[in-house]
Amino acid sequence: MSVLKTPNQAAAAADVDQVHVVQRSSLALTMRRLSRDPASVIAAVFIIVLVLFAVFAPTIAAWTGHGPDEQFRETGLSPSGIPVGPGAEFLFGTDQLGRDVLVRLAYGARISLLVGVVASIVAATIGVTVGMLAGYFGGRVDTLLSRIMDLVMSVPFLLAAIALVSVLGPSLQLSIAVIIFFTWTPIGRVIRGQVLALKQREFVEAARSLGAGHLGIMFRDILPNLMVPIIIYSTLMIPSAIVFEATLSFLGMGIVPPTASWGGMLSEAAGNSIYLAAPWLVIIPGTALLFTTLAFNLLGDGLRDALDPRAARKA
Amino acid sequence: MKTNRPAVKALAVLAAAVLLGTTACSAGGDSTTGSSDAPAATGGTLKVLGAGDVDHLDPALAAYVPTTSVMRAITRQLISYKTVDDPVQRIAPEGDLATEVPEPTNDGLTYTFTIRDGAKWNAPDGAREIVAGDFARGLKRLCNPSQSSAMLTYFYELIDGMAEFCDGFATVATDAPAMKEYIEGNEISGVKSIDDKTLEIDLVNPAGDFVYMLSLNNASPAPVEVLEYEPDSPDYRSNFISSGPYTVASYTADKELKLVRNPAWNADSDPLRAANVDGIDLTMGLTADAITQQLQAGSADMSFDINLSPALIQQLKTANDEKLVTIASGAVNPFIWVNTKTSNNDGALQKLEVRQALQYAVDKAAVVQTLGGEEVATVQNGIFGPGVLGQKDFDLYPSEGSKGDPAKAKELLTAAGYPNGLTVKMPYRTKDQEPQIAQTIQASLEKAGFTIELIPVNPTDYYSKFLTNRDSTAAGDWDIAPVGWTPDWQGGAARSVYQPQFTFTGTPQSYNYVDYNNDTANALAAKAIQATDPAEAADLWNQVDKTVMGDAIVIPIASPKAVLYHGDRVQNFIPYALSVQGDWTNVSLK
Repeated sequence: MSVLKTPNQAAAAADVDQVHVVQRSSLALTMRRLSRDPASVIAAVFIIVLVLFAVFAPTIAAWTGHGPDEQFRETGLSPSGIPVGPGAEFLFGTDQLGRDVLVRLAYGARISLLVGVVASIVAATIGVTVGMLAGYFGGRVDTLLSRIMDLVMSVPFLLAAIALVSVLGPSLQLSIAVIIFFTWTPIGRVIRGQVLALKQREFVEAARSLGAGHLGIMFRDILPNLMVPIIIYSTLMIPSAIVFEATLSFLGMGIVPPTASWGGMLSEAAGNSIYLAAPWLVIIPGTALLFTTLAFNLLGDGLRDALDPRAARKA
Repeated sequence: MKTNRPAVKALAVLAAAVLLGTTACSAGGDSTTGSSDAPAATGGTLKVLGAGDVDHLDPALAAYVPTTSVMRAITRQLISYKTVDDPVQRIAPEGDLATEVPEPTNDGLTYTFTIRDGAKWNAPDGAREIVAGDFARGLKRLCNPSQSSAMLTYFYELIDGMAEFCDGFATVATDAPAMKEYIEGNEISGVKSIDDKTLEIDLVNPAGDFVYMLSLNNASPAPVEVLEYEPDSPDYRSNFISSGPYTVASYTADKELKLVRNPAWNADSDPLRAANVDGIDLTMGLTADAITQQLQAGSADMSFDINLSPALIQQLKTANDEKLVTIASGAVNPFIWVNTKTSNNDGALQKLEVRQALQYAVDKAAVVQTLGGEEVATVQNGIFGPGVLGQKDFDLYPSEGSKGDPAKAKELLTAAGYPNGLTVKMPYRTKDQEPQIAQTIQASLEKAGFTIELIPVNPTDYYSKFLTNRDSTAAGDWDIAPVGWTPDWQGGAARSVYQPQFTFTGTPQSYNYVDYNNDTANALAAKAIQATDPAEAADLWNQVDKTVMGDAIVIPIASPKAVLYHGDRVQNFIPYALSVQGDWTNVSLK
């Protein structure tokens, strides 16, 4: 919050005393623009709260006294196995095995964020590398790499995921690998296009005439100019990775129970129509998933507007 | 004994129905009068909704339990059951096409049946009496080389001459003319038509459960015309010849089956089916939720093949819906098989103490709660489910409230040389409640020091990749695995639980995953099968049960009850034992 407020306060100070010309860094300018967009601010606050919620999951477990996989068969379930609704002992109610939904939601947030962040960082790295190579070298390298991207994009996600999982068995690592495999191509294409344009620019020619090598040009001259699309696309990849993970877990192909994950929680709620008797089993993880993806998308949009003012609000 | 509770409940419902019948007969018009066993209203079309299709329309092949509802309506057997509320009466054999249940002669080897007069085939060239030869033909068709019957194994070894007949049949070409020629040219030596109305069947060994086996769909008679078609082929289905009160009017696979009254059937020749409704429409391809909602709304009458979810049961119970009926299904589900073939953990599971530790560790009450509580399932401690002759209450590994005894399990585990516990692999199917059941079992075993590695498996791969796959069993891909078993018939059905799962004669059996064998149990079972006195057979089967449980090779956990629900229009909703569903041929519509 303080980072966000500082430019505001600086701006306020500037308004009062117009004698001083304030020189603002690029970061400060971005933050200033971002802070003017209330949706982005709310999204950022939500994400910070979510990260804290995930980081302090063990604290929440200790505070409630309910482990994430602990089954409260006496207090958390009726004799016929119907979960207990939200109340004093279980703030968000229990699930069909008598486990505390609040604690599982916190532990599930860890999985969602881990998968979202790790998968998008790795996928972005792969996408940027492939896109940069294709765009920079052009010709046969471009043809080959672009066709590989086309090939990956034409593989049906769920079919491939089901096939892989039934051969290798579900696990967290496999989920992340599948998500990376299916998400690196869009950013790869964007970067390729950008590099195609950038490599024609004068500063690249200058670097080349000064004797810079390919690697030097790519990493020293071109890459810094790609930071804006990389940041925006990586942020926007997080929610789709989270939804992919939830999809896989929902279909029983993601995180292995009893480890909590949001998709797994939704899947268990949908199975056997238990949601009819315990609607909070759908509402709580569903809302968490909805707001998380919404927050990351809003922040991504906000970042795009802030980082690239020329493109902002054109639509 | 465990079936008392639903019986009491069902009787209460019946009593209520009788009261309603006597006090509120105005709605039913002139056809319903005060008498409690007066025939119910007739007419109307029964609307039945299902998720899937029948497995077969040919009674020689039909083995799927819900299909039995259809078979009850369009076929008849020598022996069948009355549709009554009393759980003991419900599984007492009654003569259907036979005039009565015969006592065996010749030291229990020979059964002589008298065929009922007036029971007819709805043959294309006019109604024709069902004769003794039709039964012989029905049994011959069981081992046709094109598609053999699921229940053949029981008849194959039991009926004199069946094995020779079937071995010869196996070499015949699979086209209809060749099969017809073999069936007409060869006889099963133990099945004789003395005359049109007298059938004699000779057995190789005495078998107290033989009359129960004759109540199976697969033992239905077959008219001569069906030999023109390959078994259950599209031609067979479109030329179906009924012997029951209804016949097939139209059938579209996976979509719809319409039954109408069979003109050749007459009520006097059938003591078991009242056939109150004029027609039955079975619509398929619906989800369980959609079906239940339609039943609740009254826009449909009965369900075909779905299980009500615990949440729905809870809803209906909360609303005090008296249309909810619970009956014992005889199934043991889930129970856990222990893999004694694996060398995982240096063959720890081959040690009796380790298996006993597992027995003590499982919290059966928790699994019952996960299944929906004591009203929909009971704790199970032996291999035979409730309603199977030979099932008696006993528990070799008792714990308070059947909640498991982790301390005792730890003690046994330590004695076996594993004071730090064991890591055990458990696959489970990702369908219905099985993920929840697996996690419940996991939680209870972990209290006793086991570490359970859960392996979620696609339902279609579960048996083929793990349990029935002998390589993966030997390689230790699984250590323990939850499965279920439903006896093939009701009542004297212990054989259909014991033989396929717990005997090994050198040839691997599909469902005896670890080649389990116990000679003491086998000797007891052989005596039990030959015992013709039910009480004696029950005692012997109970000893078999205890012997198998002594080896702790399986961990029985729960026996689910069938929870049935129906629409508002349906009256006289009483379950038929073999279909574990309300009897289509005895319900009526208001």
